[in-house]
Amino acid sequence: MTPAFEVLEPGLLTTIQDGGRFGFGHLGVPRSGACDPWSLAVANLLVGNEPDHAALELTVAGPTLRALRSCVVGLAGTDLGATVHGGRGLATGRSHALAAGEVVAFPGTANAVGARAYVALPGGVDVPDVLGSRSTCLTARFGGLDGRPLRAGDRLASDRDPGDAPDGLVWIHDHDPEPIAEAPIRVLPGPDAGLLDRLAAIHWTVATASDRMGLRLEGPAVPMPGEPGDRRPHGVVPGTIQLPPDGLPIVLLADAQPTGGYPVPAVTISADLHRLGQLRPGMRLRLLAVDVRTAEAARREQAAAFRQGRARLAELAGWDDLWRSARG
Amino acid sequence: MTRSVQPFGDAAVLVDVGWSGPGDGNEAAHRFADAVRSLGALDGALGDPVPGLGSVLVPFDPDGVGVDEVMERLTALRATTTSSTAPRSGEPATIELPIRYGGTDGPDLDDVARRTGLTTADVVELHSSVEYRVLFLGFAPGFAYLGDLPDALSIARLDTPRARVPAGSVGIAGRQTAAYPFESPGGWRLIGRTDAQLWDPGRPAPALLVPGSRVRFVPLSA
Repeated sequence: MTPAFEVLEPGLLTTIQDGGRFGFGHLGVPRSGACDPWSLAVANLLVGNEPDHAALELTVAGPTLRALRSCVVGLAGTDLGATVHGGRGLATGRSHALAAGEVVAFPGTANAVGARAYVALPGGVDVPDVLGSRSTCLTARFGGLDGRPLRAGDRLASDRDPGDAPDGLVWIHDHDPEPIAEAPIRVLPGPDAGLLDRLAAIHWTVATASDRMGLRLEGPAVPMPGEPGDRRPHGVVPGTIQLPPDGLPIVLLADAQPTGGYPVPAVTISADLHRLGQLRPGMRLRLLAVDVRTAEAARREQAAAFRQGRARLAELAGWDDLWRSARG
Repeated sequence: MTRSVQPFGDAAVLVDVGWSGPGDGNEAAHRFADAVRSLGALDGALGDPVPGLGSVLVPFDPDGVGVDEVMERLTALRATTTSSTAPRSGEPATIELPIRYGGTDGPDLDDVARRTGLTTADVVELHSSVEYRVLFLGFAPGFAYLGDLPDALSIARLDTPRARVPAGSVGIAGRQTAAYPFESPGGWRLIGRTDAQLWDPGRPAPALLVPGSRVRFVPLSA
């Protein structure tokens, strides 16, 4: 397939991510995949893809891309000020047609409400599957584009004709995910829940040392009492809250290693995972302990909202096949 | 861990199968992970079980099945597998890792000898005298925690981890040893280096060492 884009500037950290790499945790392989899977799914649906297709994940300050031919992109997640050079702004939650030669930048904005945006191409970004996924594994340097972030000169191809999606589709649904900055992150008590009440009473700040492996939190330290040496390492998942000996929690994200030895006071509910992926350094974070029933209800609500949004999009687009899969 | 089967968020369950300490090859965890895998083959809701030390984390698709049902099934499975003492089927052959000890390959060898009160020859002899088991993997793809390091070699990690550990470096920490599959940061004390290809995502079996593998280090003469 002819490349759709040339990368002029790579941005702070732009990687290719899909729904994640499953089935290899026992070999030490992180899941990778989008830090905000909800926005990845929306970007994909806007160009007629499956929710977990490979797309670009942009971080805080995105890339500058030149369209090599006429194409359509699905844009979702945080508004990073996407603008076509010398012209129009590109709204998030919408599909946009670009003409050959147009240059689009995602400079980031001082008042951005989140950390990450997603750019989907029709059919998905065309890179080889490695261990069943196109996601970039930065730590072990495989997947995506040779296991690395985008750099200037890279060319990005799509699996389908890059112009093969309607312009101007808008994602609408009734239950927007909670405003990121305001609502607490809901967690279930973990194996070391003894300190959860204290952790939940603190207004944490996301530290600059945060990355795709985890959010490091700053605030008053809450060290775990007892000997750290006796702990047995166990499996962990994205969303796990770890408490290292310094008493400052780490919230694991998509690139986290699959086993860990630190105490785990809590684990984020799956319905709030995507919100973790939108927290950027300097933002505030609070934890709110909930029970399993609440977590499951939140998950069902989210799945229903997603189905509804997907069905509306299918109506707008008139994609019969998409409509069928939305009902199935 | 207080309970033997407990929720780990709403999309995973952590099952404690016990670990009796050094000398225990983590067999119970490997056997339980095998059992989960065969159960998972029956219905797609259960994900890849991840062994820890004396535990197995079982992720699942929360849109396909609820926490309670997964807990019930894993509790029943735990009862049947932990009472079994039959060896695992398909017991892997012992993998030999050729290793060069000391020098630039093992920059901490002399320091380890000094701290343990041994000669460097003793350290090499002790480290290569044992058949290790892969207790579990983690830290990085293909990074296998091998137990048990002889007690005489037990040593704390570096106070400050190295920013760059070369691929193939073999380190020790506590009662374990491991080889770094590719260049990465690392806090284990480095005593040697192997040329074995520990990780290659292009191979059908990307990791050379898998949970339960038996491993021996074979010294290469300098």
